[in-house]
Amino acid sequence: MRLPARRIAPGRAEGPALVSPSPFSFVGGADPATGEVLDEASGCRGERIAGRVFAFPHGKGSTVGSYVVYGLAKRGVGPAALVNERAEGIVAVGAILAGVPMVDGVDVRGFLPGDRAIVDADAGAIDLPDVRAVPVVSVFLRNRGRLLLVQRGDRVGSFPGRWSAVSGYLERDEDPRDRAVQEVREETGIRDTRFRAAGRPVVARDGPTAYVVHPFLFDVPSRRLQLDWENVTHRWIRSSEIDGFDTVPRLRDVMTSALHGQ
Amino acid sequence: MNLTKDQGRLLEEGTPAQRKAMEILLALGEIGGAESLVPITSAHVSGASYKLIGDAGLEFIEDFAAGTRVAVPTTVNPLGTDLAQWRELGIPEAFAEKQARIARAYEAMGTRTIFSCTPYEQGVRPGLGEHVAWAESNATCFANSVLGARTNREGGPSALAAAIVGATPDFGLHRDEGRQPTILVDVDADPSGIGFDLLGLFLGERAGDGLPYVRGFRASEADLKWFGAALASAGSCGMFHLEGVTPEWRRARTKRLPTVRVTADDLEATRKEYTDGQDADLIALGSPQLSSDELRAIAGLLDRAHPRIPVWVFTSRAVREANPDAVAAVERAGGRVLADTCLEVTLLEHRFTTVATPSGKGAYYLPSLCRQKVILDDIRVILERYA
Repeated sequence: MRLPARRIAPGRAEGPALVSPSPFSFVGGADPATGEVLDEASGCRGERIAGRVFAFPHGKGSTVGSYVVYGLAKRGVGPAALVNERAEGIVAVGAILAGVPMVDGVDVRGFLPGDRAIVDADAGAIDLPDVRAVPVVSVFLRNRGRLLLVQRGDRVGSFPGRWSAVSGYLERDEDPRDRAVQEVREETGIRDTRFRAAGRPVVARDGPTAYVVHPFLFDVPSRRLQLDWENVTHRWIRSSEIDGFDTVPRLRDVMTSALHGQ
Repeated sequence: MNLTKDQGRLLEEGTPAQRKAMEILLALGEIGGAESLVPITSAHVSGASYKLIGDAGLEFIEDFAAGTRVAVPTTVNPLGTDLAQWRELGIPEAFAEKQARIARAYEAMGTRTIFSCTPYEQGVRPGLGEHVAWAESNATCFANSVLGARTNREGGPSALAAAIVGATPDFGLHRDEGRQPTILVDVDADPSGIGFDLLGLFLGERAGDGLPYVRGFRASEADLKWFGAALASAGSCGMFHLEGVTPEWRRARTKRLPTVRVTADDLEATRKEYTDGQDADLIALGSPQLSSDELRAIAGLLDRAHPRIPVWVFTSRAVREANPDAVAAVERAGGRVLADTCLEVTLLEHRFTTVATPSGKGAYYLPSLCRQKVILDDIRVILERYA
């Protein structure tokens, strides 16, 4: 899988991924002598940063963090590369001082710990050679403020029994929006859809498979629909109710992305 | 980003430090959405206290300083100790030695080593619309708000990078749009003395990284120093407007802004909120460092009241040397006038547990940076209590 990314600090490096789902401070978050992760909230406490492609949403905390990144690299226990969703000054400056390649604009939850990752900041891309990208569309239909969720049947190939938005595989070179319209027709029989928004893609991992989900929001004039074989039942929910459903991975983030794309 | 020929040359053919400096400015410009670098007339760098930057920072500064010189007049923030009086303060020798190495490294880069957080009181007074790159939150806030100069809230390395290149990414507070207010503040109180610190703390908590437009009182430049220092500590504000006082208030658009009202009760509640100590073992003045006028005023108060606990007064080396009589008066009262350093960036935690101070900025940082409990109050009240 290849992910586009924005260059923050130049260079190219590779290593196994280390992932923190929460923002990270190098001051207090890592042992400055050994590069061991100390931050509990990172979910990777006790791991070593050395040689890893370290992915976390963004930096936080004291500006001294820049010097800590520099010191780690100087002692040979620094990260191979840094990957952020949204870079800020502390970590960015640290990466440059340390000579560590860094990119941002990447959904870090598309990484699993241990993924082999090649960060090419100069080319603006990250390669995960052992991960297979499966592009899909995920369409939230909206009617009078409520969103449609469907429950997947037993005969579908992935995530049977889970709740989902209307979704489908994207063929090579196919326009995601065309595919979205077609899936809505097939799965619900609804033809009268009004495009509202396309959100930023969300990556949902299932082992070595990475579903690259293209989120959409369509308005529909009525709640009448006819499910096909893929789904067994449906609900029109408020967005705040989504946590009460056993959904396919990251559906909440897909929904947020679709709603924020407006 | 669009670079000039000279900037492009620094990036391609400069010394290692010049190339790094350019890379830092380009990355920060990319993150901030700048289209170019704007030339600066001065820089002020933070990241000089060994207590804060530690061995990682010392190592970086020494490596970086080798063969690098700043391209514009550059001043340096306070150190972790007074370089002349460290023994008397009980500072460990290893600390003082590493601190002296940091000071030498900055000096080797050609900076003006004032070791002060108030460059605006040390003759560095950029004018209206002048672009600079200043670190140190109180200095940044003062430069933007009171002087009408333009700087983002720089960190140590980014201010140093700008000093080496002589330019900084043109975004945020460098742009007219970035200097527009985000929150309107009606002050229904008449702050004086510590009231300016309290107002800063109160608003900082509410304004976050926004830009307050404040109205309802008049203030001198010295008052705004204390207000801005507290504001920029409790919030991450880089600027404020004060109606009828600061130079750019007429350009501010205030329609449809969220509004906050502040009363005298709010200020007193803020004082209590920041006071968690019972019994102080140190009285501290400064943070930011005192000006000559402020030092002489304190000396006058101490001449009449000899407190029973130590008094540490923080100022710059230049102010200390210009006011020998005031220094003598403080010392007669059992106090010390410390230079090169400031309240929360020096070592207190090895000797004290509770600090009484009128500084809002000090009250904000003392618990986290110095593990101190705090009594925040007017200096007259403090001196009376510990007479």
